[in-house]
Amino acid sequence: MAYVAARGGEAAILQSEQLHQLLNAPLSLATVRMIEASLPYLVDRVMGEGSLYAPELAALALAQTGGDLYEAVLLLRAYRSTQPRLAYAEPVTQTELLTVRRISASFKDIPGGQILGPSLDYSHRLLRLDLLDQDNQEHSASAPPAATVSSDAPAGEAPPSYDPSPLAVADWQRSEGLLAAVPEVPPTDPASLPDLTREPADFPAPRAHRLQALARADTGGVLALGYASMRGYGLAHPTVNELRLAYADVRLRHPVTGEAFSIGRVRVSQCEVVNTQATELRLGYTATLGWNEVKCIAGAMLDLEMDAPQPHPAHSEEFVLYHTEPVEASGFCIHYKLPHYVTFQSGLDALREARATAADAPTEPGDAQ
Amino acid sequence: MQAHELLDILTRSPADAVKRFAEDLLPRLEPVEVLRNRTGLAMLPFRETAQESSFYLGEILLAEAHVRVAGVEGYAACLGRDLEQALALALIDAAHRAGIAGPAIADFARVQAADLVETDEALMRAVGQTRVDLETF
Repeated sequence: MAYVAARGGEAAILQSEQLHQLLNAPLSLATVRMIEASLPYLVDRVMGEGSLYAPELAALALAQTGGDLYEAVLLLRAYRSTQPRLAYAEPVTQTELLTVRRISASFKDIPGGQILGPSLDYSHRLLRLDLLDQDNQEHSASAPPAATVSSDAPAGEAPPSYDPSPLAVADWQRSEGLLAAVPEVPPTDPASLPDLTREPADFPAPRAHRLQALARADTGGVLALGYASMRGYGLAHPTVNELRLAYADVRLRHPVTGEAFSIGRVRVSQCEVVNTQATELRLGYTATLGWNEVKCIAGAMLDLEMDAPQPHPAHSEEFVLYHTEPVEASGFCIHYKLPHYVTFQSGLDALREARATAADAPTEPGDAQ
Repeated sequence: MQAHELLDILTRSPADAVKRFAEDLLPRLEPVEVLRNRTGLAMLPFRETAQESSFYLGEILLAEAHVRVAGVEGYAACLGRDLEQALALALIDAAHRAGIAGPAIADFARVQAADLVETDEALMRAVGQTRVDLETF
């Protein structure tokens, strides 16, 4: 490919940026706070794909870009590159999660129970037009009453007991002999894991690279490839073994005392899918920063597909990981907007030459048919 | 109360309350030497449940502060980019470990801890209400 340098046009470029701002809502602190408070799943998605947990900055990125997700993710990744890595947190294990949603589609009666948690899964997908009508009729400045969640048990009933760290379904399956036991893994040095942000992926990728890539992958890309598997292009036909939304404490080592302490909680989600078609149950897995069920389910299915001996070409590890990287993919896509005049002119010259050659070529007998 | 338990509580407490408390404490801590006060990242390792391997889930934006008070070093970090919050936490950590204002710090932490426990318990009660017996579906 060849490019030409763009010169001049500064006034037009400045005007273009101002027009972009003009056609969006004014950028203000109030807008950022409103986005952070009222659109947490969108903020989560930007943080997950940006691979940086910073709700305030993700909300700012959304406000600044008018909600263009890829631009917002790029802003977050760019900001991340300006910050030094100060520490490696202690590894988060499932037993330490404060779980608020945990369901299994494989077993009804899982230890700890099925916890719907915050979900719209069983709600009617109907637009609340009454809110708009109320606004149109009253032009009221007052906000509609906030939804409230009862934390009290119905009268006469004991409050339900809930263990916020229920046993993993996979651990229960292992104890029942349904899943192969996992060899005991010695404690890992948090700083020693393969890290995609420091070294490029090589294939076959270490599992740590694969799961890190899925954690920061583009939700739409993971869904598209995962959906292709679900529709029948894949080799696995799994069910959701366990889906979990939770809060995880981020624990750092105190540099003076050496003791671990929590600097706060972050939202995380993870999903296991289980395949029953082999001779033994096999699990696929994906987790991400923030709450993003679609990405975790589709990613877990792709994790299984990538392990197949001869996966569909679109489900090979290299294909999946390369093509679901949101910043590289969107960046490559939008680079086509840059001037390609030399490339195009070169193609045009070749086309003209080919036509001229064809026109000059002597006509063979029989061509006139 | 152990130093790490104090930080567990105060890093999740309202930043304004922590800053006000540290501000009140400050006259008893002078002179304060700020060794570091900056924003940065912590990588978060995660243990998966399918093969029990570990991987990096992503990075966390944090603010950290490292101070010295009366010859004792204090350190703290918190989520986000609030350098004042980190500094306030580090001052409280240093004071606590230097034995300065012990009862006041303990009282403040107890109040904050009670609020956090109440919030967590309310959340868990609400979550508990969403437990479902799928036989009934």
